[in-house]
Amino acid sequence: MTVEFESYPEIKDYAKSVAEPKWFTEMRIKALEAQPMLKLPNFEKIRYQRWPIQLKRVLKKHFSDSKLLAELNIEETKHLIVQLGQDTVRATGLSELEEQGVIICDWQTALEQHSDLVKKYFMQKAVKYNEDLLTAQHVANLTSGLFVYIPKNTVVKEPLTTYFVQDATAKTDYVHHVIIVAERNSEFSYLENLTTIGSEETTANIIVEVIAEADSHVKFASVDRLGANTTTYLNRRGHLEDNAKIDWSMGMMNDGNIVGDFDSDLVGNGSHSEVKVVAISTGKQVQGIDTRVTNMGRHTIGHILQHGVILSRSTLTFNGIGHIIKGAKGSDAQQESRVLMLSTKAKGDANPILLIDDNDVTAGHAASVGRVNQEQLYYLMSRGLPKKIAERLVIRGFLGPVLAAIPSKAIEEQLRVTIERKLVDGQKDE
Amino acid sequence: MSILEIKDLHVSIEGKNILKGVNLTMKTGEIHAIMGPNGTGKSTLSEAIMGHPAYKVTQGEVLLNGENILNLPVDERARAGLFLAMQYPAEIPGVTNAEFIRGAINARRPEDDAISVRNFLKQLDETMSVLDMTEEMAERYLNEGFSGGEKKRNEILQLMMIKPKFAILDEIDSGLDIDALKVVSRGVNKMRGPEFGSLIITHYQRLLNYIVPDVVHVMMGGRIVKQGGPELAKRLEDEGYAGIRDELGLDIKLVDEDA
Ligand SMILES: Nc1ncnc2c1ncn2[C@@H]1O[C@H](COP(=O)(O)OP(=O)(O)OP(=O)(O)O)[C@@H](O)[C@H]1O
Ligand SMILES: [Mg+2]
Repeated sequence: MTVEFESYPEIKDYAKSVAEPKWFTEMRIKALEAQPMLKLPNFEKIRYQRWPIQLKRVLKKHFSDSKLLAELNIEETKHLIVQLGQDTVRATGLSELEEQGVIICDWQTALEQHSDLVKKYFMQKAVKYNEDLLTAQHVANLTSGLFVYIPKNTVVKEPLTTYFVQDATAKTDYVHHVIIVAERNSEFSYLENLTTIGSEETTANIIVEVIAEADSHVKFASVDRLGANTTTYLNRRGHLEDNAKIDWSMGMMNDGNIVGDFDSDLVGNGSHSEVKVVAISTGKQVQGIDTRVTNMGRHTIGHILQHGVILSRSTLTFNGIGHIIKGAKGSDAQQESRVLMLSTKAKGDANPILLIDDNDVTAGHAASVGRVNQEQLYYLMSRGLPKKIAERLVIRGFLGPVLAAIPSKAIEEQLRVTIERKLVDGQKDE
Repeated sequence: MSILEIKDLHVSIEGKNILKGVNLTMKTGEIHAIMGPNGTGKSTLSEAIMGHPAYKVTQGEVLLNGENILNLPVDERARAGLFLAMQYPAEIPGVTNAEFIRGAINARRPEDDAISVRNFLKQLDETMSVLDMTEEMAERYLNEGFSGGEKKRNEILQLMMIKPKFAILDEIDSGLDIDALKVVSRGVNKMRGPEFGSLIITHYQRLLNYIVPDVVHVMMGGRIVKQGGPELAKRLEDEGYAGIRDELGLDIKLVDEDA
């Protein structure tokens, strides 16, 4: 296929300014041209279609003012990457990983120096560029990201921590892509912090692809705190080969409207995905979370555990989709989704969806939406604790089982702190 | 000295009138006991004083040092000096006993003057040893999976750590073995003093051998019908409630009687 660059002067100019490889620009244009045929993805009971979630701004390089970072609280860790908007502003402790053959670099560097590797994995195994309108818009407008490549038999002992800071001091969209490739028999652990600086009305379109090759083990954790005026499409997807494992631990602590699409494709025999989500919705925000695990290989295991709390007039929807494909014999799909309501004006939904196409499998689900237990609140308050503190204690108990199941103590602790902060803020408009 | 006055208290729950004019006055330094048949409204009285939202006060008042507390929410009443050891304490997963008690103590102190962790742990250790509680109980989640007797002991632990002005103990003796009864009584007796008053609800005179009350009240049909000294409890133990009811000519049905 020949792609007509000249018809897309903005793409051409942008591509030239960042010197991206031709194949990548061609892919942008393919994605752009595919859009008229594509629709917005459909997520059960999540009505986001009218939000400003589509990318409509012209592709262009935006430079952020690095002074903005002073607002942020960045915790020093051994391996750390900080990106502000489209720029990488810090990268520490990576040289010793490079000696192991590990590649960790931002998107521009990856395209420049590891073009063939990126081409091999980008929107090939996990997500497809023409899956729907949002993935196509993502490819056409992509301006920042991270590429992580762990060679076979490599164990990275200390986690990599990233801060991706969306710059909403200007009206620019945030289109960000992360690829994590864990080759055969490697181990890698990763903590991602998504935050926003500024309060302009913006759109974020973020895709994370985790490719876990045979016998690899990836621990993926995230603390998502995107701003109140950011409308987000957040797609995180794992592609798991034979006996690979991904542990997902995600804290949805955003303040704006967001659709989270968290999927694991258990392609290889014996692969295993554990998905833990905690979410807190406050104010008038809507968070819709669609978590799917598809068992394709034999003896695969997909477990989903998600607990969320809703305050004020907010909305939280949890979909849990366990899909066992015909032939995935000996597989297991389990899920639990629970929503705790602190306010009668908040809307919560927990939808278990089990699609089982094979007989020789085990599957189960639990789902609930309930009000905070009044006897527990009364008991705590009868000892003098003010109502808001008592509520936070009951919430802590409710989220406890998910937090306790997170494999890393440090991440569990960080999530607890973030949860507390989000709750304290959220209770202010009760 | 503090004073708690209950005046002509009428309380209903789910539209049912349970308390029909309770009068009772107590001061710190005193221990009062309330005895009365099942379903007569003893727990209702405790919950109404503490401020459980399900219990509706339809008439009367409760004064703490002259101030009506009925408009205060439960947490403010607690901080004003009231404590209720509940007949059925709630279980709170995810919150350890120790951090809960520390939070309760700090809720009574100014924000910039929280109790030091060291100081707190020292007090907690001492108090737990008075109550023969193992250290492990401090780190367990609040009441979760506690046996009936352990829950009761834990209520007294909180009482001793929080040091309220007035404590209502609702059947603190039920479900306790003989040794535990002595231990819990020891805890309450340690609290006795000019700055502490307690209203003890019990079905059994035995508890009152260990915690000797100054006044015994008999409650029947939603009212306090008789008051006396410790000897009144002994009489009830011997005669049951029918004797007093008939002496006072009350028209009240007791559970062990046929209609
Ligand atoms: N939530 C409720 N809904 C309906 N009725 C209630 C409720 N709580 C209490 N009652 C009724 O109020 C009456 C008084 O109950 P209360 O618990 O105060 O009795 P009590 O004197 O403490 O009895 P016991 O000695 O058995 O503990 C009972 O008839 C009880 O059934
Ligand atoms: Mg009772």
